[in-house]
Amino acid sequence: MKHILFREHEVENIRELDVYVNNAGYAGLKKALGMTPDEVINTVKASGLRGRGGAGFPTGVKWSFIPKNEPVKYVAVNADESEPGTFKDRQIMENNPHQLIEGALICAYAIQAKAVYIYLRGEFWDLATQLDQCIEEARKAGYLGQNILGSTYSCEVYTHLGAGAYICGEESALLNSLEGKLGQPRVRPPFPAQKGGGLYGEPTVVNNVETLANVPFILYEGPEAFRAFGTEKSPGTKVFCVSGNVVKPGNYELPLGITFRELIYDHAGGIPDGRGIKGILPSGASGPIVPATDEVLDTPLTYEDMDKIGTVLGSASVIVLDDSIDIAWAASKMAKFFKHESCGKCTPCREGTYWIDKVLDRIITGDGAPSDVDLILNVAKNMQGVTLCALGDFAANPIIATIKHFPDEFKRYVDPALKQEKKAVAAPKRAGGAAQGRAGRGTEKTGLVPAGD
Amino acid sequence: MVKIYIDDREYDVPAGMNLVDAAKWHADNDIPVFCYHPKMEPVGMCRMCLVQQGAIEKDRATGEVVLDEHGQPKVRWMPKLQTACTQRVTDGMVIRTNTAEVDQARQNVIEFLLTSHPLDCPICDKGGECPLQNLTMEHGPGMSRMQFQDKQHLDKHVPLGDLIYLDEERCIQCARCVRFQDELVGDDVLAFHERGRRLQIITNSNPGFDTYFSGNTTDICPVGALTTADFRFGARPWELTEVPSIDPFDAAGSNISLSIRLDRDFGGKAMIKRVMPRQNESVNEIWISDKARFGHHFTRSENRAQSPMIRNANGQLMQTTWEEALKSVASILKAAGKDVAAIAGSQMSNEDLWALREVMSAVGSTRLGAWPITHAGADLVAQVGVGVGSNLGDLGKGDAVLIIASDLEEEVPIWRLRLKLAKERGVFLAVANARHTRMEDFATACLRYDYGMAAHFLSNLRAENPDLAQQLAQANNLIILTGAEGLSLDGSRALMQAAANFLIETGHVGKPNNGLLSTFPGPNGMGQYYMGFTPENTQDIMINPPKVLIVAQADLYHDDPSASQWVHEVETVINLTLFADETLSHEAHTILPIQSFAERDGTFTNGERRVQRFYTAQGPIADALPAWQVLSRLGEKLGRGKAKLSAATVMADIAKNVPAFAGVTYKEISNVKRQFPDVGGRDLYYGGTAYQNRGGLGVQLKTTAESGEAINTAPVELVNAPRSQAGQMLIVPTTVLYNRERTFLPSALMHPRVMMPYAEINSADAAKLGIKSGDVVEIVADTMRVRVKAHVNGGAPEGSIVLPRHLTTEAVPMTMTLGRVSKVD
Repeated sequence: MKHILFREHEVENIRELDVYVNNAGYAGLKKALGMTPDEVINTVKASGLRGRGGAGFPTGVKWSFIPKNEPVKYVAVNADESEPGTFKDRQIMENNPHQLIEGALICAYAIQAKAVYIYLRGEFWDLATQLDQCIEEARKAGYLGQNILGSTYSCEVYTHLGAGAYICGEESALLNSLEGKLGQPRVRPPFPAQKGGGLYGEPTVVNNVETLANVPFILYEGPEAFRAFGTEKSPGTKVFCVSGNVVKPGNYELPLGITFRELIYDHAGGIPDGRGIKGILPSGASGPIVPATDEVLDTPLTYEDMDKIGTVLGSASVIVLDDSIDIAWAASKMAKFFKHESCGKCTPCREGTYWIDKVLDRIITGDGAPSDVDLILNVAKNMQGVTLCALGDFAANPIIATIKHFPDEFKRYVDPALKQEKKAVAAPKRAGGAAQGRAGRGTEKTGLVPAGD
Repeated sequence: MVKIYIDDREYDVPAGMNLVDAAKWHADNDIPVFCYHPKMEPVGMCRMCLVQQGAIEKDRATGEVVLDEHGQPKVRWMPKLQTACTQRVTDGMVIRTNTAEVDQARQNVIEFLLTSHPLDCPICDKGGECPLQNLTMEHGPGMSRMQFQDKQHLDKHVPLGDLIYLDEERCIQCARCVRFQDELVGDDVLAFHERGRRLQIITNSNPGFDTYFSGNTTDICPVGALTTADFRFGARPWELTEVPSIDPFDAAGSNISLSIRLDRDFGGKAMIKRVMPRQNESVNEIWISDKARFGHHFTRSENRAQSPMIRNANGQLMQTTWEEALKSVASILKAAGKDVAAIAGSQMSNEDLWALREVMSAVGSTRLGAWPITHAGADLVAQVGVGVGSNLGDLGKGDAVLIIASDLEEEVPIWRLRLKLAKERGVFLAVANARHTRMEDFATACLRYDYGMAAHFLSNLRAENPDLAQQLAQANNLIILTGAEGLSLDGSRALMQAAANFLIETGHVGKPNNGLLSTFPGPNGMGQYYMGFTPENTQDIMINPPKVLIVAQADLYHDDPSASQWVHEVETVINLTLFADETLSHEAHTILPIQSFAERDGTFTNGERRVQRFYTAQGPIADALPAWQVLSRLGEKLGRGKAKLSAATVMADIAKNVPAFAGVTYKEISNVKRQFPDVGGRDLYYGGTAYQNRGGLGVQLKTTAESGEAINTAPVELVNAPRSQAGQMLIVPTTVLYNRERTFLPSALMHPRVMMPYAEINSADAAKLGIKSGDVVEIVADTMRVRVKAHVNGGAPEGSIVLPRHLTTEAVPMTMTLGRVSKVD
């Protein structure tokens, strides 16, 4: 299959500016500069491109929200890539950086922004250095800066490193962090696209790296070429980050609409040692887990079909859990992640993540009561839908979905009848690691640890 | 106005009003909040204010209201609960605050908050007046599902600075304190550190929590996380009685509440345990400076004068009775004929000053001096001061304020706070001075002139700064706020006249929010003027000392380096004083101990000419009496009729005799009305623990300009300021808020915040004199000789030394003078 994003598979050294340019690089930008900004937005709308950061919001529609009469506008590129199990943007920026820069510039032109800020997670410092070099080369070649490609349009591109927080992948927290403030979400409205809501209060488009990297193709090849991939409601390709219990974990750029079964068995090489699959996390820690039933395995990976099985496509960071994985332990790992990453702004999320983690620790060390499972379920539900950003809901998902689909996995820790046997196994673990709340990495389990640990 | 529906009842409310405010003010519906505060922008963090929100559905084509099957307007409800604090009311908004879902959401938030909150209410300062306690009782689940051992334990005694302690366990991360410092004060010294449950308040200034307004954060803290070093563990709120009072330190006249309790540490007498703000939206809103809050200790100083004393034939001061003392003073006054003068300080109440004037009338003297003699022109404020109904909080777009010759943050911090906010509402704020002051950080325009040239600057404004002049002249409302920095008394008068002329010429007099304001020292600078006491008279007294001088609450020796010279020429000094150990005591023939503002009642007239009442709060010190009572009894002995029995009857006398006070009564001064936002009372959760005003909002005196009289400009008598010359430099005395004045020094907890004596020297001068920052220098001028540390920090213009008053134990000049500076090896 031809790649839209991972073009390094077809073109060696596409990361080099001259190679990129010789392979239709910056041709999309050139074409866009010959169009009106509205025409560019309409082209992207026609492609049906949806945001790849997780929410799947139509990109062209998002751009069209930017008010025309405001003099100062910005583009913020979300390169925070903080969802556990997500590692797609890194590969795009490493191997095909100019396509991101080009996509961001097309977006900037479409909304007539003065500057593009690429917000990278702090750990991407080496990548930021590399991107800075690419930006410099592109500037020298006239693709950005003053009078881009001889036009009247000028735009600067800057990189900015975060300081290491999951929440800064949330768009309004990202903007706060970019402004040098504490990474906490903002009250919306005003939304980033509105006056008062964006970067420094100016209307701002915040797009994911993968989203923008699709844009040059859409401009150059046309929206129909893009729609040749994927489904009606989810056109294009998507990078699936496959990890967990698979033989060949990694990034797979595939048309939207392939099934879990195809992704896991045809592309990722299936499950090691021929084991069965217990559950799938389709979107890192934040999307609800689904049990690996035939129905689920044959569900097409699209925004609309994921909804039908009670989960989300999100950033498509697919974590596969085979039948050796203790789901309660996995839930605990995710609870710890969210406890660590809650920004602390909203009461339910700040307190709920802490509380759930405490009770879950108690459960998996064998000290929990049957009512503790109901307790964390109730606490998780009380966190849902009452916080400023989606993190409150995300943090509730690992609890609610795991208990819903795998009640027995919790029951065996708390049911007095089943507990005796369990406690015998759990006891040595408590002595070792329970103090740090790391119990559950069992001897009988595989050594595989979900990302985010 | 728009129509909204709250719990199925209809209300008309102003469009765009915050929903929490609208529900409270118009519907008497308390939507519980922790992070929201009516004085700050909403942040929607605590999630306590969740309500069910919908809107009346209208047909898109016709705009008609869509009706349901019962003929009722159809409501489109939002799928999730919404935070009320982040909503502004719009027409057709429908809110439910009484559904099971809302109840459950409130209960959940309380439960979440309590999972991390310690159960130390029995030892918490906030216990008894705690929003979290109250809202837990009202909305909480009643029991906890959190196991006690799961609670997080954190540091409970973190000093954020010298004045405020943080209890990290109690903090519920509402950010009210952070936002207060950032949004309202502009001293961005608090911040959040870390994230999640580790989120904590930190200070990022050095020294910690460096601001003049820190105490206010303890009022708005919805839990006991922030407490003051002054009050923490001092008393339980329910033991305290709130007594309305007035900030005794500056011209703003901030309304305060003295929390008193009968206390073992004060001989079982009523004692001030803390000072709290009292809401007066026209004066100080719900804020007070840290000086007002923590500066009350002087009232219980061990140096307070205890009993009347008379010097005997051997020159020794002997304790005596009031009757003996007053008899003696009366005979001294009678014997002096008319050769008597009086100098009264600006902490004297209107009643004290009137009673003193009566005594002076009895002996036939009109030599009434005001102390200190820094600011002239109070008569001009009486003429063209800001009009009745003025409120700095009403200024906005299209209005202008000029601050000239003042370091406002140091002189009147509450005005600085309110004008900073006015600027943010769109006021054109110009700051003119010979040096950088803090106010410039908030100004629209900053202007410089040379020291001594403020009046020249303002007189020539049209010619030399036409743009600024036009901005000011064209403003809808214009206030000129003057100080007296770098001016002689005559220079100060010239500046006031220049300001008055500009206001008159541009039509900015005789109406609210227009006119002249000045940073008269002390709480009753305007009262001094209305009762006939002027600094010009004082100057005359200093030049021609009388035979007998009555000094009332004026710290001559600490304020004036030349005092020792001219006071010596007075034959007999009668001293009405708070403190027994004043240097003046060595000179005084009679010492009459008087009561401070805290121990009796009375009124002050603030810089906006608002007559405000303070009430008896603290128990008396030994034999000390209110000055008006001492003087009224003295007046009786001098044949001025029966002594007055209450301050209120003195006010009745004032109202009869002082035209501006016509009709003013204690009753009228004590009137209150409902103020927005509705803080205090039971509703601690909403605005914090600032108190409702039960003591009175005061009465603003009419200016002459408002009484229909024609107001004319007068020539400005410009004074040529001394210029630095061969070897001599301009010594510019300035005001700093935290100093070593007699009324502030006893507040020991403030000592770490009082600067060591220093003077600011320009780097060019410092280089010439071989002075480095930190060197000790000696400054000599006229009768003054002080040693201070040199600060070479860009604070002083070339040729001048900025020398703060009252940091040194020796007096520094009251007004600008020439002097010499040398390095001390």
